[in-house]
Amino acid sequence: MSKLIFNRRRFLGTTVATGAALTSPAYLRRASAQTGGEVNIWTYNDFVPTAFREQFEADTGIKVNIRLVDDQGKQFNLLAAEQPNPTVDIMTVAGHRFLQFIESDLLAPLDTGRLKNWDKINPTFSESDWSTINGNKWGAPILSGMEVLSYNTEIVSEEEAQTWDTLFSEQYKGQTAYIIQDMMSIIMLKMGYDGNMVEYLDDPDKAAQIVEEAKAFLIEKKPLVRKYYDGGAEFQQMMVNQDIVLGHSWNGPAAALINDGFPLAMSIPREGSYGFVYTFNIANNAPNSDNAYLFLDALLSSPEIGAEMTKASGFISTYKDVSQHLSELERKSTSFPDEQLANMQFFRAEANELKYSLVDPAVEAIKAA
Amino acid sequence: MTEDKSGRTFWARLASWGPYHALMRLTTASPRRQFLILAAFPILWVLSQHLGPMLQMLRVSLTDAYPVAPGVEQHFTLDNYGRFFGDSIFWMPFFRTLIFAGVFTFCTLIITYPVAYFLARHVSRKNQMLLLLLLLIPFWVGEIVRTYAIMILLGNTGAVNLALKTLGLIDRPIPFMYTSFSMGVGIVYLTALYMLLPLYSSLEKLPKSMNEAAADLGAGAWTRFRRVSLPLTIEGISSGCTLVFLISTGFYATPVLLGGPSTTVFAETIAGFFHVAGDEWPTGAAFATIMFAAALAITATFQKLMNALRKGDKK
Amino acid sequence: MNDRPEVFRGNRIFLACIYWAFVLYVFVPLILMVLMGFKDSNFIGFPIKSWTLDWYTGVFADAEVLSTFGYSVAIAVLSTLISIFVGTWIAVLLEGRKFWGRTLLFGLAVLPALVPGIISAIAFRIYARWLGIEPGMGAIVWAHAVHNVPFVVLVVMARLSTLPKSQIEAARDLGADPLISFIRVTLPYLVPAILGASIFCLLLSFDDFVRSFFLGGYEPTLPVLIFAKLRSGMSPEINAIATVALFLTAAIGIWAERFTRRMNKEN
Repeated sequence: MSKLIFNRRRFLGTTVATGAALTSPAYLRRASAQTGGEVNIWTYNDFVPTAFREQFEADTGIKVNIRLVDDQGKQFNLLAAEQPNPTVDIMTVAGHRFLQFIESDLLAPLDTGRLKNWDKINPTFSESDWSTINGNKWGAPILSGMEVLSYNTEIVSEEEAQTWDTLFSEQYKGQTAYIIQDMMSIIMLKMGYDGNMVEYLDDPDKAAQIVEEAKAFLIEKKPLVRKYYDGGAEFQQMMVNQDIVLGHSWNGPAAALINDGFPLAMSIPREGSYGFVYTFNIANNAPNSDNAYLFLDALLSSPEIGAEMTKASGFISTYKDVSQHLSELERKSTSFPDEQLANMQFFRAEANELKYSLVDPAVEAIKAA
Repeated sequence: MTEDKSGRTFWARLASWGPYHALMRLTTASPRRQFLILAAFPILWVLSQHLGPMLQMLRVSLTDAYPVAPGVEQHFTLDNYGRFFGDSIFWMPFFRTLIFAGVFTFCTLIITYPVAYFLARHVSRKNQMLLLLLLLIPFWVGEIVRTYAIMILLGNTGAVNLALKTLGLIDRPIPFMYTSFSMGVGIVYLTALYMLLPLYSSLEKLPKSMNEAAADLGAGAWTRFRRVSLPLTIEGISSGCTLVFLISTGFYATPVLLGGPSTTVFAETIAGFFHVAGDEWPTGAAFATIMFAAALAITATFQKLMNALRKGDKK
Repeated sequence: MNDRPEVFRGNRIFLACIYWAFVLYVFVPLILMVLMGFKDSNFIGFPIKSWTLDWYTGVFADAEVLSTFGYSVAIAVLSTLISIFVGTWIAVLLEGRKFWGRTLLFGLAVLPALVPGIISAIAFRIYARWLGIEPGMGAIVWAHAVHNVPFVVLVVMARLSTLPKSQIEAARDLGADPLISFIRVTLPYLVPAILGASIFCLLLSFDDFVRSFFLGGYEPTLPVLIFAKLRSGMSPEINAIATVALFLTAAIGIWAERFTRRMNKEN
């Protein structure tokens, strides 16, 4: 009920009905004044477990407002339009997108000293190469995703799924799909280059040449692909409809299909692949920054919360000791054999400006070809 | 229109009521004043509400950085427009969008005209509203949900393939999805309503007697349609087509979800600039302005053409 | 109905077939949507191995979904009222009058419809900030109203162009001033167009995602909620939500139609 009241106040305050607000019952106005304040979060559906949210609200008296978002770009645009007076405290950014947000002054550095549960995060994620920029930490890692090869086990063999080449074989012509931007990085890696382009920061010509090579490859293979897709839901639907039998995807959407009993499996092919980490970040000039720290600390406090987040999203938890809180199937759909994990590296942001100034036009060209 | 007694006395009383009468005398004293009073509000609205946001967009399209980070200076530039004309990879989706919009508009017209004609001419008045409302029901479902429903209709294990297989007509599923065809199915679904209503309202006004007179003179069905119905409904056709064409150029979700690797539309290109990198906003805004100018030019030409056609008929 | 010569009969059967084929085309996806809401799985699609009522009962148990629905309806109705008022006024000014700048004004009037969704949303967001409008319901209503005005203008102008001049003149001859002749003659003639345009506006507003997202606050509209849920997959839950929303809007529509009819009778 308090949610309704809150929203009504917001509505009244923002429309012509200022007069009505003044005459509204006194208890209505007092209701929001006496709470322990609020914390505003932009995040994906199911990233903040409902049970945790309710518990947190009961414990602290802080009202948690969640605004559901569906991609990184929209969050960036929205925040950019709102700065320097954002309505948001905590937002969800993928680690390798940090730089873009940081350079536009949208994020505040994270003071990890204020989070006593910081060490409950697996250091693989909290101390990784991408996580420190300009000497600061910028976000608390919560879930990790990977670029994987997903395949219908009734049609594609485990053997075939060990290489990205299968995705471009004549045998599966018209039965494959991938996210083209992500595929560019993977193709560069497959060709033996650094898909993060950090190595070519000082050699833009070399970088351009590599992107050109990857672009030519994907244009050549264009007749084989069924669909360049954008969202995980599209990928799942193509699999269910058997419009495709294998494709590149993020592990989260694939895991959700596996947990639903669909005959799907994932692999990290031997040529290698990339991973990324979703982090909760505090916005620059956040209106309730103290509450945001309280929220983050509470969220990190127990591996059970991490397990809940994994169950709901299909992504891998960044918390220590999560696996004991997962079922057999959930554990299976969120873990990989060690020899495959060895092929994985994280996306990095240092060379993003160079990389995307080359990759974005290449993607346009591939689509237009 | 029925004149009921109390109504008439009310209006008559109002008209002869002193203050109202004086007000009307004042406001309608000259045609010029009357016009100014009528025009003031629309002009203000259009300038502040319609033009305002667009000028913002135009302004952004002429800058080199937006949103501006603190400490960075913003400069005027035409480069964003130059980028479109200088790089041919953008032309393909641009022209494709215009061609698709034209083709889909035409398809929608062909499909919905007989439907509207049937409703307006062959159904009794009492049932007309009912049958029209029946057609409107599906349009209340959001674009995304409807688009996914089309996926499970046309997918390899979708309803159509399932039906064909059960009937023994095919062994292997027909890949309908992710082609211009599946995209067309989705888009006509979105546009049909915008064509249907103007067509219906212009057909519904057509006096039935005219057709009958033509039939009495021995005119065949096609001639009657061409010489009587078509010219008299050109108004509806013109506004329906304008509407559908305009909204077709802006479609984003449906083409993205139902199209294939080679059906990228310009809205997708534009959205790309707003999605990932913040420093690309000005380019996105410039591209949107170009699309806007093109769509405007085409609709204006189309309207001129229709007007000429109408005048030709009246002679 | 009409007992026309038999040349008409053949036509009629042919046209009736087309009509019902069209009905089939628009309803099959709808039926699939309703059906998938009963699927016992986290993803829609064939084959359906087992069935469940849980998704539908879940919708009614979920206060968030229901309040979101109410929120969307309120936005749609408010924005439509504004669009109709403004759009009709503009159409009356533009139709059948020649004045300097008429074409320009017409162009400006249809402008918002021409701008691709994402651009218009961001333009509105920037402009709202400049005007000091806070994100939230007011901002969404405003953006929807402005965006929908062109549709009203186009539809009402089309109808207005067929209004027989003689009717207005007759009213004026009887001594009616412009305002009264507008209310007594023009407006009743425009009713079908205004109703049609209202349907456009309600639909456009109810289905709008991108403007609602950029201008909204922490309370989602129905499409915003659906988009967010879609990220974790196209689940039968979304189909159930859409189906329930469809039936609720239909119920409201029927009630409104009955209500206005009764009001008319009483007058």
